Amino acid sequence: MTKLLLLASLTLIVPGVLIGCSQQETSQEPVSDPASQTSGETALDTTAETTEQPSGTLVLVANGEDFIREGFTTKDGWRIDFENAFVTLDEVNAYQTEPPFDPDGAATLNATQEIPLLQQPTTVDLAKGAAETAPVPVTRKQAPQGTYNAIAWKVIPAETGPAEGSTILLKGTAQKEGRNVDFTISFDQPLAYTCGEYVGDERKGILTSTEQAELETTLHFDHIFGDAETAAGDALNQDAVGFDPFAALAEGDSLNVDSNRLKAELSAQDYQKLLKAIAGLGHVGEGHCRLEN
Amino acid sequence: MKSKYLLVLGTVSLIGLPGAVLAHGATVEYRQVQAIEIDATYSGGQPMGNAQVTVYAPNNPAKPWLTGMTDPQGRFSFTPDPAQPGNWEVKVRQAGHGDLVTVPVREEIALSPSKTKESASLSRWVARGDRDYASKTQQVLLGAAGVWGFFGTALFFARRKPE
Repeated sequence: MTKLLLLASLTLIVPGVLIGCSQQETSQEPVSDPASQTSGETALDTTAETTEQPSGTLVLVANGEDFIREGFTTKDGWRIDFENAFVTLDEVNAYQTEPPFDPDGAATLNATQEIPLLQQPTTVDLAKGAAETAPVPVTRKQAPQGTYNAIAWKVIPAETGPAEGSTILLKGTAQKEGRNVDFTISFDQPLAYTCGEYVGDERKGILTSTEQAELETTLHFDHIFGDAETAAGDALNQDAVGFDPFAALAEGDSLNVDSNRLKAELSAQDYQKLLKAIAGLGHVGEGHCRLEN
Repeated sequence: MKSKYLLVLGTVSLIGLPGAVLAHGATVEYRQVQAIEIDATYSGGQPMGNAQVTVYAPNNPAKPWLTGMTDPQGRFSFTPDPAQPGNWEVKVRQAGHGDLVTVPVREEIALSPSKTKESASLSRWVARGDRDYASKTQQVLLGAAGVWGFFGTALFFARRKPE
């Protein structure tokens, strides 16, 4: 009887010991395997799960580029200079994404890190400062280090201030062939963009510990008025409204229009061009954005 | 930024000179590498010829790893550093137009251009494979052999002695 009990015990214990040893070896494998440690996916997952990462400062800026700061000549020959270019930003979020977000594709943004940068409407004047002035600072926030390769932002109607009721308010002077037009053009079309990585002379959004990194919202106003320095047959100028249709609505030397009047008095073709141009304003430097509304 | 353009990616195999040739002390060898080819076009389909290209490696995405220009057809090719698997980024710009594309490069692909590192990679892969295979085999064969050994030993001692 004793021998049978011994037999039964050994039958149960030995396989358990063998399997246990085998599982222990398997569980150690990822730690000792340099190949798995160097994979990008593994590194990102580890980063996302770490609660206390080194952090730096993300600085959000808005940029109307030289077109707004220096002025420019439209595709139809108007020299326009801006006194103000008010834009009201809201709900700006910075993201680290994996895979990197492609605004030209249909895939959704897959964030491994999300930082709310701006959670209340903020109106900025893109015409502020001289031509060589850096983009307008909007806000700054502490954030874990990493590459912030996507940003989402909205343009909404201003609730207060000189641009109240407008998502975008352009004020300035247009000159052509001896005629001067002082203009105030107000748009009320809300916009929501999801953008990929900034494209420009420098890289932006790469935040290392204790440093600061910029993220930029860029608006390309040459999409509305066209650019005399670009070929007339270029898609930019083909799709732009120009300034002639606006000038035609001026009363003497003064033009003061809002979206309702533009819809009522522009030709249907020009109005559709204008809506499309406004929708395409949002960029990240030269990088692309997806219009979400 | 005036209009969108597209970057179309392709992976091509660049094959060097066929075989080794010895002549007057010179040695020419070949190796197969896998390169990334960028095809940059405007939205209208026109090639972005002679555009500025900047390549960023995964290990230091803030610093250009390689710069160059597209050819007149808007094409540019490069071979990633085999020691740096991950997301390679290629920026193409021309006169206010620009875009950036991300090229995920897996480790086994990245390691293939270098003979030395390819060998190292294969050795490591085989070693991992053997280890995986052995661990499963342990669970089955060693367990069965152990059980049978103890069971047989117990039966030996438990057998009835001949009268």
